[in-house]
Amino acid sequence: MKRHDEDLQTPITAMIDIVFQLIIYFVVTSSVDKDMVDESIRLAEADHSPAVESSDPRLVVINVNAQGRVNVALQPMSMQQLENLLLSMKVQSGSSVPILIRCDGNTRFDYVDQVMQRAARVGLYRVRIAAMVEG
Amino acid sequence: MKHRKEEALAVPMSSMIDVVFLLLIYFIITSKDEISEAHLAINLPAPGSSKASETKPQLLEIEVYENQYSLRGVALSLANLELALGRFSDPELTVIVKVSVQARAKDLVAVLDLCQGQGLSKLNVVTLR
Repeated sequence: MKRHDEDLQTPITAMIDIVFQLIIYFVVTSSVDKDMVDESIRLAEADHSPAVESSDPRLVVINVNAQGRVNVALQPMSMQQLENLLLSMKVQSGSSVPILIRCDGNTRFDYVDQVMQRAARVGLYRVRIAAMVEG
Repeated sequence: MKHRKEEALAVPMSSMIDVVFLLLIYFIITSKDEISEAHLAINLPAPGSSKASETKPQLLEIEVYENQYSLRGVALSLANLELALGRFSDPELTVIVKVSVQARAKDLVAVLDLCQGQGLSKLNVVTLR
């Protein structure tokens, strides 16, 4: 009789375990676009600007590190390859395709300018520069 | 019989620890988003855009060198630039930021950020050679 009662109890802890596992799974899989971001880049700080809440899925992220090396989604790129990529993105998504330049705070503007020139040459005149917001 | 009941009342430590660890992992993963990014939108010079408008819009020129800034040709520190920009909070005002190739990205971001803080959103970036 006693045994039967025990069997009927809902296993709460096991259920909570499963729920948390599910939450973690969805949190991890939903932030796939983090792979586009080069973690070695230390962005300059901007404390007056609003932080972005959601980003456009078409966003093209161009990482420029402190030495001026360029990569897109951690794939190193020459300037010519970058231009080809931007051109194909423009053909695919139109000239409103958002371009984000994530440059290290210590990158010389020279290198950032080269990236901007390639964007402008393709006809993409609106770009964004990423900065870090504290808090 | 009595012994068994006492056992059932004991706090299930190991499963509690399991839950605590899962909570910990959950918060570690989600807290990564706390450092958030701002995206400063700028316009690049387009060919032929200089002759596009007949009525010349009001312009504000800011020059950026390495750790040095100047507003309409007057050299200013970053703190003074912020004060000076306070007088130009007209959102229609077109700002032209001329950046030296020697400048660092953080110098440019600092200026763009100040403009953004003053509500100036028509930001154009030109390179000084």
